[in-house]
Amino acid sequence: MDLAGESTARREAWRRRVLSLAAVVAVAFVGLLGQLWYLQVLEGGKLQELSEKNRIRIRPVAAPRGILFDRNGLALVDNRPAFTLSLIPREMDDRDTVLARLSVLLKIPMRELEEALERVPPDSFRPVRVRRGLTLEEVTKVEERKLELPGVVVEVEPQRVYPTSTFAAHLLGYVREVSGEQMKQGRYRRGDMIGQSGLERMLDEYLRGRDGGERIEVDALGRPVQVMRREEPDPGAQVITTVDRRIQEAAERAMTGRSGAVVVMDPRNGDVLAMTSSPAFALDRLTGNLEKEDWLKVVRDPLTPLMNRALQSQYAPGSVFKVIVAAAGLQEGSLTPMDRTYCNGEFHLGQWTFKDWKEGGHGHVDTRSALVHSCNIFFYQSGLKVGPAAIARYAQAFGLGAPTGVDLGGEKPGLVPFLDGRRRGDGRGWQAGDTVNMSIGQGQLLVTPMQVARMMSAVANGGVLWRPRLVQRVERVDGTLAYSSSSKMTGRVDLSPVVWAFLRQALSGVVNEGGTGAAARIPGVEVAGKTGTAQSVAKSDSAKGQDHAWFASFAPAHDAEVVVVVLVERGGKGGQVAAPIARQIYQAIFLEKVAMVSLGGDG
Amino acid sequence: MLRVDRRLLKNVDWPLLGAAFAIILLGLMCLSSLGLGRGGSGLAWRQLMWVGLGVMALLAVVTFDYRSLVRAAPALYLLGLALLVTVFVLGRTVSGARRWIHLGPLTFQPAELFKVIFILTLAWALTWRRAPQQTSRGTLGWIIALIAVPFALVVRQPDLGTALVLLPVLGAVLLGVGVRLRILGALAAAGVALMPLAWLALKPYQRDRLFVYLDPFRDPLGTAYNVIQAKIAIGSGQLLGKGISGATQSRLAFLPERHTDFIFAVFAETWGFVGCLVLILAYGVLIVRGFEIAVGTREARGRIIALGVTALFAAQTLINLGMVTGLLPVVGIPLPLMSYGGSSMVASFMALGLLLSVRMRQFQ
Repeated sequence: MDLAGESTARREAWRRRVLSLAAVVAVAFVGLLGQLWYLQVLEGGKLQELSEKNRIRIRPVAAPRGILFDRNGLALVDNRPAFTLSLIPREMDDRDTVLARLSVLLKIPMRELEEALERVPPDSFRPVRVRRGLTLEEVTKVEERKLELPGVVVEVEPQRVYPTSTFAAHLLGYVREVSGEQMKQGRYRRGDMIGQSGLERMLDEYLRGRDGGERIEVDALGRPVQVMRREEPDPGAQVITTVDRRIQEAAERAMTGRSGAVVVMDPRNGDVLAMTSSPAFALDRLTGNLEKEDWLKVVRDPLTPLMNRALQSQYAPGSVFKVIVAAAGLQEGSLTPMDRTYCNGEFHLGQWTFKDWKEGGHGHVDTRSALVHSCNIFFYQSGLKVGPAAIARYAQAFGLGAPTGVDLGGEKPGLVPFLDGRRRGDGRGWQAGDTVNMSIGQGQLLVTPMQVARMMSAVANGGVLWRPRLVQRVERVDGTLAYSSSSKMTGRVDLSPVVWAFLRQALSGVVNEGGTGAAARIPGVEVAGKTGTAQSVAKSDSAKGQDHAWFASFAPAHDAEVVVVVLVERGGKGGQVAAPIARQIYQAIFLEKVAMVSLGGDG
Repeated sequence: MLRVDRRLLKNVDWPLLGAAFAIILLGLMCLSSLGLGRGGSGLAWRQLMWVGLGVMALLAVVTFDYRSLVRAAPALYLLGLALLVTVFVLGRTVSGARRWIHLGPLTFQPAELFKVIFILTLAWALTWRRAPQQTSRGTLGWIIALIAVPFALVVRQPDLGTALVLLPVLGAVLLGVGVRLRILGALAAAGVALMPLAWLALKPYQRDRLFVYLDPFRDPLGTAYNVIQAKIAIGSGQLLGKGISGATQSRLAFLPERHTDFIFAVFAETWGFVGCLVLILAYGVLIVRGFEIAVGTREARGRIIALGVTALFAAQTLINLGMVTGLLPVVGIPLPLMSYGGSSMVASFMALGLLLSVRMRQFQ
């Protein structure tokens, strides 16, 4: 083909068309450069930030929870590392397969895994906790199959360990994952462990600390390439309680197999040295993984182990109340130490007959021996002489009928009837019989063991009502004080020193002079106390007729260092059941003194 | 066989070759920086091997007079078609598409080769029997039939990207030889009218990609992931880039297909706007030289080939960059001379070879 003959015009046309095509291409390139300018220069900063977020993941590192110590620096609870199985949704390419494998591997129901993931967006890089407290064997299983289980990680988190499974259960409280309800407060992250009862709950803010995090560079599959920066978690603050672990242990030992409560208090400042409620729940069972059925078993247990009987159960005080009647009468002058009466075992009021607890009566009794031997007949008469208004006033002064303000929630107030001059509950007016009943601590009167401990502290210390204190201070890890609480006086009972002396002397007689509390006697330390046997409304046939047994005491009698209050539900007579428990506790408290007396005896 | 006329050597287009090798060099740097991360090491070496193979292909093409290649076009066309059909029979399915034929240790993508064959076929069809400017409607029909068959085959693989690149090449050549804009417009309109049919032929993921183009955040972790990640990579390069060790976005494999279709994002992250300017300049030199050769060639087949090759480079470059920067929907098109991949590299070298061959014989 000869192209030499091609005309200039044709070549020019070709040239023009090619150039116009080149122009189109040039325009397109300019547009492209514009887009690059837009992305790299105008939007560059923003996209730069996005690229940072893209490759850096924050993985939370759980803060160890603060430790609770007793007053002598012994730990009441500790932490140990525990393994938690978590899922990272974004890293699970084939979710169903991974979940199915995991379900088979660890025998976790598929439903459980799916439920855990339902709560988070599917592209989340944040690990979702699925199961806590993995055994080493389970951890090994997961690690061995790591490659088949993308998105499945085992995190190490600190977990509570307890000296014994039920030790100080109500005092310390248990720690569990936040509930959906609690999440709504917005303070917690899903999967956070928070205190759900006891001090763990009251002091959760301090104990929890602040979770740290690891900045991890990851590739697109979420595989960690390197840890860029680790932000150490702030461990929770440590709590120094007022509790004496030795006494707490003694109290729990003494209550083994019983239902009831013990409160041990320092009458000089209101420090709670021990507080137990029996039966207790197993802290280690409630912490961590808990099957729903197990939880229901605890909740539905007829023995109500979750209830803190020291604060939340209300009982009639029984004869313990006689201390109040005596104090009121002596101070008001309606009763004197010299008052005597003959007790033949029965007291008649109108058509009613009130009986003494002792068949045949106590014979001749005066105010002191009536307290020592807990003579009902004497107090029936005295109560009428003192009058319901004065009794109620003194009961209130001693702190009955009102919460003590201890640093634990859920406290019950108790009840002092006749505060407003009327009988509570029904339309019937206050009768003399009601006064008679109240004089020996029965009828509508209701108290909690904690209230009784405060009341006996006042008797022991000459009238000061302390707010029961459980927490001395909260210290951050760096040693600074996060919280401290000092002893707080919340009231004062004004009795003349003679009356105080009389009461203490009489209560010493209860234990040391063959009174109803003789079973609490220990060598070397003068214990003073008052027994009580409170009628209970039987909830079941087997428990019918069994009364609640009280023993409220302090020691040494004339320079009290410690108050011990024991309540045994449906235990029987206070002197027979509660007093020996108190003795065991005193033996532990005054171990050295008791031992020295024994040695002296040998010599 | 390698008896090349000395006079021809004087006409080697050095700026064209220089630009091409500059691009190849930048591409190799990108691939080796990807190797700095994990996996992917050795990419650059294998690419270098393809470059070597490409250079041999280029020399082979240059040795032949392009006119003899045009004469062989019908045979080459049939060979190309046969290969495209073979893909369906022997091809290996990779990520849902059958595009590759295995030749011993090498894999080979017939569609890439066919792009070059297609240009030769156009030159043959338009100059067969008559001068190109006298293109009749009959010839146009011929040409449309010639493209329709391979087009359908490539779309069926599916390799929408490669198929689509054939259209601007066809358009540019037809425009160049003087087919009236009116007729081209009518053809384009017919094409648009056939779109609904094409829509039916698309795979669901291809439709998704088109949707995603309209709204990238519609499915940020699925189909749009590439687009968003590429934008982040490019943008985060900012003016001067992050340097080879700092280009985390692409190195950490956030970016899918980062060594093939999306390699530009890696480059842009590493070298920033300034680097992109240099790279685009290199492509600019390549394309401008291509147009100059097309304009400067007197012989019809030569200038059709030059225009076709230039249009191919321009279209691939623009579509790839447009797609990676989010201006165009994502269709799988490699960036010529830069994307990792043997067939694409060898095909690009063959195209360059045609261009050089035309240039060297420009004044014969």
